Amino acid sequence: MDPSALIPTPDTLPVSWGWFELLLIITLFLHIILMNVMLGTGIIALVNHFRGGPDSEPLTREIAGKLPFAIAFTVNFGVAPLLFVQVLYGHFFYTSSVLMANFWLFVIAFLVSGYYMAYIYDYKYDALQGARVPVLGYTVFALVAIAFFMTNNFTLAQVPETWTRYFDSPTGFLLNLGDPILFPRLLHMITAAIAVGGMSIALYYELKRRRGDEEAARWVRHGCSWFGYATIANFGFGFWFYGMLPEQVRNSSTLAGGMIGVLLLAGVILAALSIIYSLRGKILPAMYTVLPTILIMILIRDLVRAAYLRPYFSLSDLEVVSQHSPMVVFLIIFLGGLLLNYWMFKLAWQVIGNREVRS
Amino acid sequence: MNYPVWQLDGAGGGLLIALMAIFHVYVAHFAVGGGLFLVMTEMKGIRENNQAIIDFVRRHTKFFLLLTMVAGGMTGVGIWFTISLLNPAATSKLIHLFVFAWGIEWVFFTAEILSLFIYYYTFGRMDNRNHVIIGWIYFGCAWLSLFVINGIIDFMLTPGAWLQNNNFWSALFNPTFWPALFFRSFLAFMLAGLYGFLTAVNLKDVVLRVRMVRYCALWLIAPFLLFLGSAWWYRAALPPELQVLIFERMPEIKPYLDAFIILGPMLMLGGLIMAIRMPQSITRPIAAVMLVLGLLYMGSFEFIREAGRRPYIIRDHMYSTSILKKDMELIQQNGFLQEAKWVSSREVTRDNMMTAGRELFNNLCLPCHSVGGPLNDIRKVTGNYTPRGLEAKIGGIHNFSPYMPPFAGSGLERKALAYYIAYGLNNRRDRMDDVAIREIGDEEIPAFNGESDKYVLLAWSDMGMKSYTDASGSWMILPPGGTINAQLIERGETPDVIVDGVTISYAVDPEFSDPAQQVDFWQNAAALYDREIAPNTGLSGNGLTGVMKPGEEWFTVSLLPVVPYTAERRYMPYPAFTVTAVSSAGEVLAATRVVAPVATEMGCQICHGGHWAVDNRAGLSVETAENILAAHDRISGTNLQGLADNNMPVLCNCCHADSSQDAPGNKEQLNLSAAIHGFHANFLGERGAMYCVMCHPADSGGATRSFRGIHRGLGLNCTYCHGEIEDHAISLLKAEHEQGKERAAVLLGNIRPANFESVDAVVPRRPWVNQPDCLDCHEGFQAPEVDTTFNRWTAGEEDLYRNRTDESGRLRCAACHGSPHAVYPAMNPYSPYRDVLQPMQYQGQFYPIGSNMNCKVCHTIDMEYEMHHPNMLREFRNQ
Repeated sequence: MDPSALIPTPDTLPVSWGWFELLLIITLFLHIILMNVMLGTGIIALVNHFRGGPDSEPLTREIAGKLPFAIAFTVNFGVAPLLFVQVLYGHFFYTSSVLMANFWLFVIAFLVSGYYMAYIYDYKYDALQGARVPVLGYTVFALVAIAFFMTNNFTLAQVPETWTRYFDSPTGFLLNLGDPILFPRLLHMITAAIAVGGMSIALYYELKRRRGDEEAARWVRHGCSWFGYATIANFGFGFWFYGMLPEQVRNSSTLAGGMIGVLLLAGVILAALSIIYSLRGKILPAMYTVLPTILIMILIRDLVRAAYLRPYFSLSDLEVVSQHSPMVVFLIIFLGGLLLNYWMFKLAWQVIGNREVRS
Repeated sequence: MNYPVWQLDGAGGGLLIALMAIFHVYVAHFAVGGGLFLVMTEMKGIRENNQAIIDFVRRHTKFFLLLTMVAGGMTGVGIWFTISLLNPAATSKLIHLFVFAWGIEWVFFTAEILSLFIYYYTFGRMDNRNHVIIGWIYFGCAWLSLFVINGIIDFMLTPGAWLQNNNFWSALFNPTFWPALFFRSFLAFMLAGLYGFLTAVNLKDVVLRVRMVRYCALWLIAPFLLFLGSAWWYRAALPPELQVLIFERMPEIKPYLDAFIILGPMLMLGGLIMAIRMPQSITRPIAAVMLVLGLLYMGSFEFIREAGRRPYIIRDHMYSTSILKKDMELIQQNGFLQEAKWVSSREVTRDNMMTAGRELFNNLCLPCHSVGGPLNDIRKVTGNYTPRGLEAKIGGIHNFSPYMPPFAGSGLERKALAYYIAYGLNNRRDRMDDVAIREIGDEEIPAFNGESDKYVLLAWSDMGMKSYTDASGSWMILPPGGTINAQLIERGETPDVIVDGVTISYAVDPEFSDPAQQVDFWQNAAALYDREIAPNTGLSGNGLTGVMKPGEEWFTVSLLPVVPYTAERRYMPYPAFTVTAVSSAGEVLAATRVVAPVATEMGCQICHGGHWAVDNRAGLSVETAENILAAHDRISGTNLQGLADNNMPVLCNCCHADSSQDAPGNKEQLNLSAAIHGFHANFLGERGAMYCVMCHPADSGGATRSFRGIHRGLGLNCTYCHGEIEDHAISLLKAEHEQGKERAAVLLGNIRPANFESVDAVVPRRPWVNQPDCLDCHEGFQAPEVDTTFNRWTAGEEDLYRNRTDESGRLRCAACHGSPHAVYPAMNPYSPYRDVLQPMQYQGQFYPIGSNMNCKVCHTIDMEYEMHHPNMLREFRNQ
């Protein structure tokens, strides 16, 4: 069966695909950072429970207090790129979702249960004692399971040639386990999350240190170490991932392949610099170099997907039936929302640390 | 068809989305109303300088945050996941059309999360003014989220002008946007009170607890009238056809409507009870029960809204099966398997019926039906049907069940789907082969001596195909009632038809002489006809032996209570009578035998469930009969089943006129023939005679096979004379429509003529009066040049074949040619002689009396003048 015959006909767009691509990149960038902080700090806290003993309690207690926020905002900022990716690639994404429907729906179950466990970990931190590991362990497990299913879905969406398996198994139990990029990609993402999680710890304590917290320096180093060594490890996973990409994707003689190569080189250089900075304890320069690295990796991710789908589909194939006014209204409200959120955040920041004004 | 289908089976039928959505919506409305509750209660605490109230708000905020942010927020994402799995095509449409609306909603969602976190975590740390502002920001953003989502949800129900202009704003601000927004807003405020109880009943301070519980009760009760007003507005904003659909034509919604109507006052009552000062041990469980009632309240509303959209997922645009309305005709023309992407079978063949059927089922049924699951179980709604019945049902179900889409496929695909459901899912074991007929052994043919006998006695039944319906404890459409006629001819060169001075008696064969032992007609006759009818006596008072009534040229006995069951209760649809002519002096002048056909092989159970009542081949079972009443009640809003259950069986012709039984019926209702054919033509079209015989006992593999005259032998079937069922029904309905019966117009609207360009081309006709005429084909009594006749009707009852006479005006056509549907030479399936008893008796051959130059039968000499009708003096043409 010709796999291209299976690809659903996409719906029309209200504005050019470029707008959605831009919105997708921006919102995915924010989501990935938040996701990295959420998953990375969760894993680091879990490891500290195993290894750190009572010494690590100040760190794990802080992480416990912040994890529910991280989950909330990760999900929230995941909604937007999920929306825009459906606009551009919905006909691939929905198909792969149906093929693995049972697992895909489990994402929600893991999310709700992991989220509640994170709250328990936070609110009952002291009472939990020895139960902290299983409670946080479950949250981390749930988040990693979500990552696994996400990776399955997004990789499955870009290999229509494997979709014919549906006819033997239409009950939504297919995964993309046969794809050689699945595990390197998953490990690359998780390791990146650990690295960025370490960086977020370092940054948080750096701010504390600058406010005069003497204990903070230790955790800055701790975070930097996590960042530095995880990023070094991620070179291995990254090249493994790259090596597993099919020739059509890596082919540097094509525009996409060439761009992937150039961006990858830039990403490698920036990542190497960030490692050096972090291992020297210079967290802000490390952050300045790693943020563009993340953006570059997101761009590469997008180019890789485009290269995978090239035989079947190009974004320019999408038909546009123009209506711009909803976008204008969205952008106005988006800007208004940013201002409102900024104002609220500023207001909240001002009162954090103040003593209670109501007794 | 554009996307693969998640083959869910037991968890299908919308179960997943129902679970996810109802829970989410319940929490999400709380997230809106609860937001207002929090900030207003906080303001109350500040205003009254009451720290206890503020502490209450703080505690409630924690509960609120944990419930709405985690369970509410995540199940919101879960709905998105779920709908994209269950209906990716519709999800894609909603995503693409409303992408910026979703984007706007996301902005509000972000601000909601941030403001709620700030609100909770800065309690007591932020100054009152700013804290209240944050609270208002939360509520504002939550309500604006509702504002946007409300537009998208109601777009699916009432897309309004978008269908024509494709404009985003028309879609968002669709006809029910505003009423639904108010409806949901007031509901959200009520729910705030309902949820508030949960925190309030746990307050330790008794005074504060009573005060806050009453405060929550006020939140529940105060918006109720406004909520009712907005519900009324919501209903009024629905397009009229949708109002009729939801509130009148979808009995499946009724339990949810009833629940919605009952639960509202119950919640109000609960709110009032909660306001009474009671111990915690009472208020706590009441609060919990009320929360559950609230969930049911919300659920019933969502079920009504979702069901009201059917058969569409986006009304008038996309069916629940993801098929666009505009594509339906093309798919029906080319076949679903040809047009769909995610199927492996491209056509239906004899070998792939099951596979193709499953693929059709997955795509066309699974979107709304489960297989063995708690919601819309396909087995429950199809278990009654044989494959043939199911095939018929699938073809026309949308006409009477407006929540079902038209079948999106070809005739062969419909067959494959029915085959799969019946055999693949329902594991039916229907009889596939022909009924084994138990032939009569030695048929007794009365003696006749052409040399010495002075009389010829001819006898025939008015109808060669006659049905009787048992299960008379439920309803009665065709009582027992065969009519036999006889003519006595005195032989001679100039024969004479004798009536005077002669008595003609009749007697049924002994094995049929006691029908009251076989059927329950006489037990229910009084209830049916409002008069006592003695056992083994027909409606006109005749028994199964007696004397025929003389007329001007012939004798008749009407409405004989003959049934097709032998004393051993075997099905035998061709009982015979012995007819004897006796002179006034008591001399037997002539005797003959005649068949009085009567069948109970009406295949109602093919579609209505149940089983054959007798011998696994005939008879209407009570189960089938009751199902038919239930269907009538469901579709026509009657209570026939209730009547039958109370020992008041239903006589169909009380309402539906039937001239064959001299029943005037109700002038406003369709006559019986128009009603039955008009209704069933919606299901049985496009299949020719194969589906006539589902109801009429003429299936060539059935137990009766009552179409047995020469025309069957020549390869004709029902449709050659009576037309396809669509045209047949249209002719009947048009006559009724001309009488001003609106129901006829409704049924006519659904039926497409089979052999005519339009309904206008079909000539109206009255049943039992305007029938096809033999001379339409046999023009001038000559060999026919055509083999079909439809649309040319006899002018009146006197012109019917069974009533007509020869050109002399003395001999009835049927006297020599036999009964309708069994005209000589007829081949009876039970005995080669049973339908040609007199041709065999008088001529020793099967052909019509006097044919093949057999004038001597009556005339005693050869004749040269064709006095009965032209073209009769010749060798019989079809020997």
